[in-house]
Amino acid sequence: MEGHVLGNAFAAAIVLLAALAAWRLRASAFWRERLGEIARRRPIATVVVALYLGVALLDSVAWRDAQPGEASVEARSLLDRAFPADFRERSYSAPLAAVEFYGGAALAHPGRHLLGTDILGRDVLHLALGGARVALLIGGLTSLIAIPLAIALGLAAGYLGGRTDDLVFFLLSTLASMPSILLLVALIMVIGRGPVQVCLALAVTSWVNFCRVVRGETLKLRELDYVSAARALGVSELRIVWRHVLPNLSHLVVITFVLTFSQLVLSEAILSWLGVGIDGSWGQMIDQARDELARDPIIAWNLGAASAALFGLILAVNLVGDALRDVLDPHTLRERT
Amino acid sequence: MLGYLLRRTAWGAATVLGVLLFLFALFFLYATPQDVARRALGEKAPPEAIAQWLVNHGYDKPAVWNPADPLDTRLAEHLRRMLLFDFGRSDADDVPIAQRLRDGVGPSLSVTLPLFTLGLPLALSLALLVAFFRETYIDRVGVVLCVLAMSVSVLVYILGGQYLLGKLLRWFPISGFDPAPSVLLRFVALPVLVGLLAGVGANVRFYRAVFLEESGRDYVRTARAKGAGDARVMARHVLPNALIPVLTNVVVEIPFLFTGSILLESFFGIPGLGSITVDAIQSNDFATLRVMVYLGALLFIAGQVLTDVAYTLVDPRVRLG
Amino acid sequence: MRCALRAAALAACVIASLACSNDPYPSADANAHVLYMPYPEAPKTLDPQVAYSVYDHEVLSNVYETPLEYHYLKRPYELIPGLVTAVPEPRALGDGRVVYTFKLRRGVRFASDPCFALGGAGRTQRELVASDLVFALQRIADPKVGSPVLVTFSKIVGLAEFGKRLATLREDDPAFAALRIDEQYRRAGPIEGLNWKVTDDLKVTDVLDVTLDAPYPQILYWFAMPFTAPVPWEAVAWYDGEEGRDGFAEHAVGTGPFRIARYQKRSRIVLERNPDWYGAVHPEWRAPAATYPSEGEAGDAGRGLLAPAAVGRALPFVDRVEMRFEKEAIPVFTKFLQGYYDRSRIPKESFDKAASGGVLSPAMAALGMRLERTVTLGTYYIGFNMVDPVVGNAAGERSRKLRQAMSLAIDADEFLRVFLNGRGIPANSPLPPGLFGYEEDYRNPFRSVDLERARSLLAAAGYANGVDPGTGRALRLSFDTGDTSVQARLRYQFLVESWRRLGLDVEIAATSYNQFQDKVRRGAHQLYFWGWVADYPDPENFLFLLWGPMGQTRGGGPNSSNFADPRYDALFDAMKNRGNDAERLATIRAMRALLEIERPWIELFHPEDYALTQGWLHNAKATGLTVPIWKYYDVDAAMRAERRVAWNQPVRWPAFAIAGLGVVLLVPGVATYLRERH
Repeated sequence: MEGHVLGNAFAAAIVLLAALAAWRLRASAFWRERLGEIARRRPIATVVVALYLGVALLDSVAWRDAQPGEASVEARSLLDRAFPADFRERSYSAPLAAVEFYGGAALAHPGRHLLGTDILGRDVLHLALGGARVALLIGGLTSLIAIPLAIALGLAAGYLGGRTDDLVFFLLSTLASMPSILLLVALIMVIGRGPVQVCLALAVTSWVNFCRVVRGETLKLRELDYVSAARALGVSELRIVWRHVLPNLSHLVVITFVLTFSQLVLSEAILSWLGVGIDGSWGQMIDQARDELARDPIIAWNLGAASAALFGLILAVNLVGDALRDVLDPHTLRERT
Repeated sequence: MLGYLLRRTAWGAATVLGVLLFLFALFFLYATPQDVARRALGEKAPPEAIAQWLVNHGYDKPAVWNPADPLDTRLAEHLRRMLLFDFGRSDADDVPIAQRLRDGVGPSLSVTLPLFTLGLPLALSLALLVAFFRETYIDRVGVVLCVLAMSVSVLVYILGGQYLLGKLLRWFPISGFDPAPSVLLRFVALPVLVGLLAGVGANVRFYRAVFLEESGRDYVRTARAKGAGDARVMARHVLPNALIPVLTNVVVEIPFLFTGSILLESFFGIPGLGSITVDAIQSNDFATLRVMVYLGALLFIAGQVLTDVAYTLVDPRVRLG
Repeated sequence: MRCALRAAALAACVIASLACSNDPYPSADANAHVLYMPYPEAPKTLDPQVAYSVYDHEVLSNVYETPLEYHYLKRPYELIPGLVTAVPEPRALGDGRVVYTFKLRRGVRFASDPCFALGGAGRTQRELVASDLVFALQRIADPKVGSPVLVTFSKIVGLAEFGKRLATLREDDPAFAALRIDEQYRRAGPIEGLNWKVTDDLKVTDVLDVTLDAPYPQILYWFAMPFTAPVPWEAVAWYDGEEGRDGFAEHAVGTGPFRIARYQKRSRIVLERNPDWYGAVHPEWRAPAATYPSEGEAGDAGRGLLAPAAVGRALPFVDRVEMRFEKEAIPVFTKFLQGYYDRSRIPKESFDKAASGGVLSPAMAALGMRLERTVTLGTYYIGFNMVDPVVGNAAGERSRKLRQAMSLAIDADEFLRVFLNGRGIPANSPLPPGLFGYEEDYRNPFRSVDLERARSLLAAAGYANGVDPGTGRALRLSFDTGDTSVQARLRYQFLVESWRRLGLDVEIAATSYNQFQDKVRRGAHQLYFWGWVADYPDPENFLFLLWGPMGQTRGGGPNSSNFADPRYDALFDAMKNRGNDAERLATIRAMRALLEIERPWIELFHPEDYALTQGWLHNAKATGLTVPIWKYYDVDAAMRAERRVAWNQPVRWPAFAIAGLGVVLLVPGVATYLRERH
């Protein structure tokens, strides 16, 4: 399957999930109230996170223009379409400059590159915005793999206890004891490079955290009166888990997801530096721009744009995550992160 | 009591075994040694040389089951080597891995030890300060600064530090290492500074949360009701009781003292275990990479078991899982 | 709290006084006669029969010596006697064989080393004899050593058979395999093409006849490469990596002007003057490889390379070479600018600071720095896999036109400008300047950009506007690479975008190096980017890369394009062993014309090396080949010490500013605390 089709499917899935979640949440007074509280506490951060999400989605929806007679090779996303079709220069140019940085030849689009251009003459603003999609992919796809797995195993371990619990706990402590960056690299070296592989490796290292939270909470919930009562009434175990345990875990999963998200994106930056990152990520832009600090006059806009884009997202997510934790769960997770 | 200790140790040993089996599956069953051999010997190596290399590095044996001699398998060899710390030679250049580890520990420690001994008091005292002034501007500014500091990629810290302090201000050598006492400090200063800056945000935030949680407890309220001053409550009641989560957090960091910091060592040219690991990654040296993952896990597990045991000895009511 | 503050302040003061200097070297060395050099990659091995990378040779060539060497200053490169007394002349035997007679110098000694105790208790040294050179050649044949140049040296009669005998004996008899290495070689029997004669003294032999099965004039160049460096068997036997001894790959015992004082290859390597070097013991011999030359290339005198202080003097000039491992390019250049390296290659990133238009910037010239440029004897190219069904031979005329069109789309000038700051020369043929057969005014008609012509060629090939009639979509090709670094990716993206202008859809297939190698071996690659740097200055060393029998997929040779054209192969056979005469030139032109049409390669560029030299470093001349050079270098240590101090005054005010800011932030807090306490 081609890359952009996959991207479209992914974007559609995200929108669908979001719509579903919104519909479900509107029905619950608990969530409606809490989410409103977060938006009130961190209005700017919430808007920033939403903006990043929007840009990422715009960049995920892409299609090819079939022009008669001429083959258009690349599928262009909505984000690409927001920029002029041939928005290129020959090489470096400073933000808003009218001439090339070295040599001073006239630009094709003078004064229109808000953040300048990179060594290949690509618009840095465009590249930096494009990084949002990769960040979302890292966070989203990884969680999509890790969370269901973690919930299934964590629930099984916590609820069933005994041998199952021992086995899951053994798996958890085995994975958790290996240095995570090394484990990541080793996994990627062995299973190969590529966005899906990187997310898979990240999922292997990050599901541990989810699973531990789910298992711990399930252990507690299992002993609660209403669960015992349900069991005494002869409600089937599966139904107890579905109706009484799972809903009480959801807020923990949401918090853990938000708090893990920034870790994932920052880990990818290190993977990029080790040469096994995902194409188009901010980590890759930083890695590529690091040598430019030694140029004289120095070229800082590349590094600056990528670092700022990365920093903005992580900061906003961290702030929202803090607020989420304070609002949804004042006790359980306080000392975790 | 004794039963618990034994069970805890056995559990630790089982985890080590789990790690070893995982590594075996990853590096011996999934990855093919022929690739490593070709990489090590170069493109022009004849097939005989590759076969010879595979024999020399023990990659030619059956993986799990050898009907002729059940102990003559790659799995048995892998377990034996790892458990006896007989690591063999590097896949990339045949240097004994044990020698490489011995050479690398010193440089790694010379960065991580100062980082640890300066970083812990720094983070603790800043956290105390912030917790002490909770609900004031110092607390709010402090927390915002911590989140800001946490949100910057380590790469940016390193590049910025090298450029500012190394190149523009000329305070320290931009990179390099020399164990001679007269120059060691100036090589170590910049990576330690950068490491402190990169790590302090998350730690201060964590310790602050611990302290606040502790100061919300009943006994603290009681102490305060009795008229004890803020500073006294902090020093006498909150700090000692907050030590358990602090210690748990510290123990987690101890393995990294030995395995070194991958990023700091590579960028600052420090020939420690971290840059050995990066070299191993870049040259497909699976043998060394395996050993590094194993040692990291071993130290981690040992640390966990020891803390649990220590807690149990200090306070028999504590049972950590 | 107060106590902690005081301690912190004290610690800060101590650290500031001890740590606040950017000098990476101990102050005791400030005035020493030492050369400071960076190296970007740790040597893989110091075994001269195995080492094949520039970084291995950079160290090796100063510690080991070869029978022949190159003249330091003269260009084109000229062989001079090294360990031998004269460059041997070929002597043809009746049956097509050729003999070279190497007459070794007497009185050359290996650097002292404990391993020589194997030859007699208490011995720490030994004189070089012809059998040491034979031992080196035997090691090339030894399969256990794994030398990469066995194919070349198999031209020596009986050398390959020796290796096979050795392997059989080892396999059949474990007791034989356990014997000491010199004993194994002795029992494996003589090599027919290597005969050493006993001269006046029965024990010491110094004349070696090397017989080749066919004429191969390039063999002399190989005797100037470290593969033929004589090695004492004692060192190989002793340094086996067991019982705490080093491996031979980590421990060098040679006859050269320097010996290794420290070898921590991942942080530093220190070479020191070898007091037993023949040049130091016998300056009166005035041996060509141990004396500073008195003549050079035109212009060398003007560049200060023939200064009276150096000419005719005994080598080496410096006492020590301090090499530091520098993986990242930026610290190297920064430290060079601070005066801490004597010589540095210019990283691309700093190029505009150092040199624009190939001239040193006025600021740096004022600091006494010099710039040297040399064209490396190398060629970088994009190769097509000729056994691929789409771009290869099987598609006949159609694929030829496709290759021609793709060649016309790549702008080498632009590539060099963007990625190498113009440091290089666009390539028109595989041969780089400086080699016989390179012609400056030759222009390859398919190596200048002409999109119109490219489009019409594509249309003629049946891919109008890049559309593959089979799928109705743009023709999809794969650009295979084993380099996943971001930097490499940018380069490939440039190429891919050039082809996109023709409507072609080239996909970058970046895999691990191993997977890429594997693809090439199986012939599953389509397009690839590769470079070749000369082993020796002869056109044969480049043109053989497209010789049919060298095909990678079939024969495992370095012809990764699997180009096999009988016309080319015949011309190659006619060219390879000829002297540099008019007929050879004509043959090379014919080969070039063939490549021009067939396009197995899109020749991209010949790299140019720019090196910066400090004003206090004398006699530094850039070389396109890796040859022993440090024995010729000289430094003015007093000047260096003075300039380093002047260039490295730290900027202190920000420290005070930060301290002040800290106080300003803390004061209100302390005030609150005090208020509360009262």
